[in-house]
Amino acid sequence: MATATARAADFEVAPTVALSRTRALWAAIRRKPLGAASATLIGLLVLTAIFADVLAPYDPLAAQPEIRLAPPSRAHLFGTDDIGRDVLSRIIYGSRISLWVGLLAVGIGTIAGMIIGLACGYWEGRLDMILQRIMDAVQAIPGLMLALAIVSVLKPSTTNAMLAIAVVIIPGNSRIVRAAVLSAKQNRYVEAAEALGCRQLHILGSHILPNVTAPILIIASIWFGNAILIEATLSFLGLGTQPPTPSWGLMLSSTGRAFMEQAPWLAIFPGLAISLAVLGFNLFGDTLRDAWDPKLRRNR
Amino acid sequence: MYKYAIRRLALAIPVLLLSSLIVFGLMRVMPGDALTALMAESGNVGERELAKLRKDLGLDRPYYEQYLIWLWQMVSLNPGDSIFTNEPIAVALKKAIPVTFELATLAMILGLAIAVPIGVISAIRQDTPADYAGRVVAVSGLSLPDFWLGTLVITFAAIWFRWIPPLGYTSFWESPTRNLQQFLLPAAVLGFRLSAATMRMTRSTVLEVLREDYVRTAWAKGLAGRIVVYKHALKNALIPVVTIVGGQLGTLLAGAVVVETIFALPGMGRLTVEAILFRDYPVVQTNVMLVAAILVTLNLLVDLTYAWLDPRIHYQ
Repeated sequence: MATATARAADFEVAPTVALSRTRALWAAIRRKPLGAASATLIGLLVLTAIFADVLAPYDPLAAQPEIRLAPPSRAHLFGTDDIGRDVLSRIIYGSRISLWVGLLAVGIGTIAGMIIGLACGYWEGRLDMILQRIMDAVQAIPGLMLALAIVSVLKPSTTNAMLAIAVVIIPGNSRIVRAAVLSAKQNRYVEAAEALGCRQLHILGSHILPNVTAPILIIASIWFGNAILIEATLSFLGLGTQPPTPSWGLMLSSTGRAFMEQAPWLAIFPGLAISLAVLGFNLFGDTLRDAWDPKLRRNR
Repeated sequence: MYKYAIRRLALAIPVLLLSSLIVFGLMRVMPGDALTALMAESGNVGERELAKLRKDLGLDRPYYEQYLIWLWQMVSLNPGDSIFTNEPIAVALKKAIPVTFELATLAMILGLAIAVPIGVISAIRQDTPADYAGRVVAVSGLSLPDFWLGTLVITFAAIWFRWIPPLGYTSFWESPTRNLQQFLLPAAVLGFRLSAATMRMTRSTVLEVLREDYVRTAWAKGLAGRIVVYKHALKNALIPVVTIVGGQLGTLLAGAVVVETIFALPGMGRLTVEAILFRDYPVVQTNVMLVAAILVTLNLLVDLTYAWLDPRIHYQ
């Protein structure tokens, strides 16, 4: 009987919540210029990454020393780098690295943070105390420093940069989920489900989780931008993606800085790509928050 | 207040101990140990030399002993020597800390000087072009990578003004003008990034305070707009800004890593990056731990300031 009641509750609550959220988001994207801009930027980034093979005019690794450091022209829209590789093609392929790192780092960080936050908020007590103190300790170390330390131990590579970023994301996420769980637990229907004898995992999964998805998604979208930025920073410092793989941060550091006076396009375009991608996700996070958090709406 | 201060201090110590365990653990999860990795990268080194080095560095002792020794070294402010330069880490830090401190302080001042006025104007003129412009500046501050901004600033200063900031570091006491020339651009880059979050926070708290009853009363009394905004509203609106500035200290120290690398400032950030590149793990673990300790202390101070600024806050 318990499960039947629970299912009925799911049927009543979950689909409407999901539907109204999608609607609210869609309305925000259509009505607010910044919402539309963010959706467009992210859409473009995703399409570029998926269709990189089709879109890139040249092989991103093919060097043509005879046209090294060529300024932007019709043949090479963003110019060429110090060994004659097409900058546009490298930026197009670089979107794959950025998106992939963002996706996996945020995915791992969000899921791990969510599990810890759910456990802390739901069971509280000693488990909560211990886990939250560990989270405090991780958070005491600034994100980039922690990522740097992790990468230094694991050896610089894209995968390790991604793992390091995931670790950086966990504490903040766990805290937000924990707070949302603590407040969701106060709801009558959670009490009712407990009184009916529902299994704890079931209560967590079907009654509490839907309440915490909004903050999780908002924070994930903001972290997505940050993850791209941290990967670019690590690569820029030589501790992320390694050459010759085209990563935006690496393009800026390896050739962008060395030839910046002779060939400023080498620094301008990869930086622009990073900024637009990060901007897209930051604005999207704002849009999500405006659409889903009624408390924040009045100030906008 | 005193009770609160003591309780917060009592909470900060276990957090720092846990952080030190994480940092120490991190440096030891490497397959083999730091030295094997170092030697593997530097070429052929005999087993005997390796064993001797390991003994000298105390890497042959059990982990808990190594941890306790390191902890004692940190507490007694003598964190051992760098394995790369053989220089005592304390000496290297003594040179690096003032650089980062000056950079961070200047960046903080510049950041606040940009953020607070724009945030206030954005709020007073909500939904006007001035507000939109302010918000675009804030969002771009969050999105532009500081290493890109730094690179562009150097490039375009050179191309347009034929001016290259003197790279490297001269102490302020040696030559104040040269020192400020070296610090102005990096501090501006770092400060711009810092100002974004502060600007957003200032805007939203000022908006909130402007809707309070006492502000409405002030308007109703017929006070001039300037007095209402600056004397009545701003005072209260800036309290939460203190917290966000506190939260930014991490960003500031992390940003220093990048900015110091670009502008060739020999601060803690550059020291850490170099140590990582050379796998100088004693330096890495000391620096990361030191930054964590500085942050925890500063955050504690920020929280106490907050409690002091806002008498309505009663902590149990």
